[in-house]
Amino acid sequence: MAAADNNAGKRTALERWLEGVRQSENNLALALSLVIGALVGLVVVAFILLTGRLAARMYPAGGAAWRRILVPTLGSLVTGFLLYRYFPYARGSGIPQTKFALFVEDGRIRMRTVVGKFVCCSASLASGISLGREGPSVQVGAGLASVIGRRLALSKERVKWLVPVGSSAALAAAFNTPIAAVLFSLEEIMGDLHAPVLGSVVLSSATAWMVLHLVLGDDPLFHVAGYHLVHTLEFGVYAVLGVVGGLGSVCFVKLLLGLRERFRRLPKWTVWFQPVVGGLTVGLMGWFYPNVLGVGYNFVERVLNGDVVLRVVAVLAVLKIVATAVCYASGNAGGIFGPSLFIGAMIGAAVGSVAHALLPGYTAEPGAYALVGMGAAFAGIVRTPLTSVIMIFEVTRDYTIIVPLMISNLIAYFISYKLQPEPIYEALAHQDGVQLPNAASRAEAARIQVAQAMREVPEVFPPAATVAEAAARARQSGLDAWPVADADGAWAMLGTSEMESAIAGGWGGQEPADILGDPVFLHVHPDHPLGLALERMGASGHKALPVVSRADVRELLGVLTLDDILRTYGVRKPDDQWGERG
Amino acid sequence: MSASPTTSGENVDKRAEAAGPSKLLGTFALVFLSMAALFAIDTFMAKMERSEKRREARRIFDEAQQLAAEGRNLEAIEQFRSGLSIARDNQEYELALARVLLDAGQLADAQTVVNEALERAPTSGAANLAMARILSRQGNAADASSYYHRAIYGRWNERAAEQRLQTRLELVDFLAQHGDKGELLAELLRLQDETVGDGALRSRLGHLFLAAGSPTRAAEDFREVLRQKPQNAEAYAGLGEAEFAERRYLAARAHFQIALRLRPDDPNTQRRLELCGQVLEMDPTRRGLETAERYRRSRRLMELALESASRCTGSVLPPALREMAGKAQAALGSRIRASQMDDATEANITLAEEIWQAGRKDCKQATTQAEEPLALVLAEVGQ
Repeated sequence: MAAADNNAGKRTALERWLEGVRQSENNLALALSLVIGALVGLVVVAFILLTGRLAARMYPAGGAAWRRILVPTLGSLVTGFLLYRYFPYARGSGIPQTKFALFVEDGRIRMRTVVGKFVCCSASLASGISLGREGPSVQVGAGLASVIGRRLALSKERVKWLVPVGSSAALAAAFNTPIAAVLFSLEEIMGDLHAPVLGSVVLSSATAWMVLHLVLGDDPLFHVAGYHLVHTLEFGVYAVLGVVGGLGSVCFVKLLLGLRERFRRLPKWTVWFQPVVGGLTVGLMGWFYPNVLGVGYNFVERVLNGDVVLRVVAVLAVLKIVATAVCYASGNAGGIFGPSLFIGAMIGAAVGSVAHALLPGYTAEPGAYALVGMGAAFAGIVRTPLTSVIMIFEVTRDYTIIVPLMISNLIAYFISYKLQPEPIYEALAHQDGVQLPNAASRAEAARIQVAQAMREVPEVFPPAATVAEAAARARQSGLDAWPVADADGAWAMLGTSEMESAIAGGWGGQEPADILGDPVFLHVHPDHPLGLALERMGASGHKALPVVSRADVRELLGVLTLDDILRTYGVRKPDDQWGERG
Repeated sequence: MSASPTTSGENVDKRAEAAGPSKLLGTFALVFLSMAALFAIDTFMAKMERSEKRREARRIFDEAQQLAAEGRNLEAIEQFRSGLSIARDNQEYELALARVLLDAGQLADAQTVVNEALERAPTSGAANLAMARILSRQGNAADASSYYHRAIYGRWNERAAEQRLQTRLELVDFLAQHGDKGELLAELLRLQDETVGDGALRSRLGHLFLAAGSPTRAAEDFREVLRQKPQNAEAYAGLGEAEFAERRYLAARAHFQIALRLRPDDPNTQRRLELCGQVLEMDPTRRGLETAERYRRSRRLMELALESASRCTGSVLPPALREMAGKAQAALGSRIRASQMDDATEANITLAEEIWQAGRKDCKQATTQAEEPLALVLAEVGQ
């Protein structure tokens, strides 16, 4: 009995502690970031291990060649059916789906989708489908975070901020790249490197990475020989690699999008076996070139370490582009991160081999170019240049090659941007009829600033003026609120409604300072976006805001009214002035 | 995104409040249970994966070893690389790959592989030895010697003493070919203490001491071997070489004779024995010779020195040599009395020595085998 009471007491204390955690937003964010990081890390490690073990069973050492055709074909048939019948939202990479959930569905990803993605991707990748595990991991991680958030009955906004937290944890564990995972979650998923969830994203990423190390040990994704710049002439070769990598990226993206559009036009009833086209294609390629099957990281590592035959890497670059495009377009489950790295490594090794053959004394081994090529292709395909530089550094832990990597990445990114303006994940979403916000739309929204809409400083109430005098002047001007200033400058806004109330209450002879007390001085600066001005107007309850200097917050530069904003957006005609008057 | 945990003014969501602490507790309990289960599954699968990978890598490694043993180095390299991509940090596989790369002449690749192994384990004896071999093949004697030393004082996982001894022996072999004699002698002295009781090693050391220019220590080693195995032909031959190096040709001849008796088909010992005989027959300073015989030998010595100089410089002798040749011809043509023979012998030997030195100075050819006894005798009398 006493033990039961003791347990009940402990339970109550625990519940109190949990309630305390929930009461404090910072504590809740901290706790959820850690929990989601650890859980997602464990799930992604299970995903990696399960895929690896399944693949080892499907392709045993010394296995017959027919397996290379049969296994991916059957694998895509089975997963195609599962995706069609049970998990329709688990198709494809997972990145566009995660962004869709974040921006359209209020962060909602169903548990069924998480399970479907896990199961279908494991089977699909193990059977040799030429796709990657990182994108699906991101969706699984984001989904788990979303499920936990909803189960805790958090608000939509809070569930939304858990999505990048889960994404970053998943990518940190899948790629063994905690910093790149943070950057990717902010750069690609959120589209904002200054997102306020940065702290939580970093924490979950670090936690997932620690879990990965706890279970799988301290191994980078690729072990790479220490390369270095042999001669400054090499910068030119790396620039050429950037060009080739960029062109290869564009070919890949255009082929994938084109094929996907064609598959989408096929009758609906073919959807469940469309993935077989991908499975059969990669199987036939795998008959001649087994390295085209699956993610291919083992082969990438060999190439990175200088095991390069020009003809083989050149053929594999082309085959992988085609295989991945067909596998993805036909609706198999899997991502394009891994294939991007594979394609980049092959392109880099090919360029490096030619360069080393022509200029042996001035160039590094082809493996160095394969390393840089990975980053170039990733920057060109995924279009996250900052993430790609950090990612290559993290997967190889080789700092010496970072400058050539940056050069190649930027060139590849630029070429890809010019020849394929729409990034792949946006284009995929557009094909599905979804318009996700992107960096350009966000920049456009922030483009119109207060300075373009504000009006000149109106007459400021002198400190000695009474409320009644101020109200009379305000009535004449038609402004909803007036700035109040003293010898040091503006310090408050006084609304006409407040003045009328004061007069009605017999305070008309008092000075504005007497009725304002110690107000919060809500203001905007000239470089603020109009959206922020609207938010602050809502918070102040006035239809006018003071515009003040950034150098001195008491220095009044002008006034911004709701009417000014509407006119700037073109909602109200320019000659329709002082709308507030009516 | 405005509802950030750090920026928003709100504290508690109403829906969350409605969920209640029990649901919160239940959710966290479920999550932690899932995590515990996943951790167990992950650990199990990771262990299984490691075990399977180890087996697979071993299979590939064995195949690669087989290919290397058959001399199919390029195929072996391919297999070793496959094995290494599975068992990345396995030093045994890395060094085996480096060995085959070395055999295939791919020195730069071998060096890259060994460098990686050394980055992880800088004190590894095996990795340092592999690097020493690569540098040795590259002709970088100074660095090779340094890596040999690191290997000797490095860490060996098994049979450390034996591995260190073998490495030091390899080092002395290397120094005998490339290094300076002082360094070789220093290493041999360290080895001498480690090889007590091992006849074959002492015999090998004896030869190395000879190469290092220390015939006294070489003789000690060979005598030690003979104490253990009195009928050891190689030790007798070695002892003969040591005596020969000390210019004790009589003793050397005796030892060569015994060695030849024990191992009659040894052409090298036969050659050395003959050389000893030629030196002994030519040497005018040998004890116990009659005055006339000494004189005869001194004349012969002068004749041979002249022949050698003429062969070397051609028909037109340099002025200094021409003058010496004139003196020699005069000495050879003159008839002297018995009482003058001692002085004449000394003069002949001195002149022969001068002609030999002058001839060698202008000579562009190496000493021939036929000239070897003459060179040895003149070197001895010069002292």
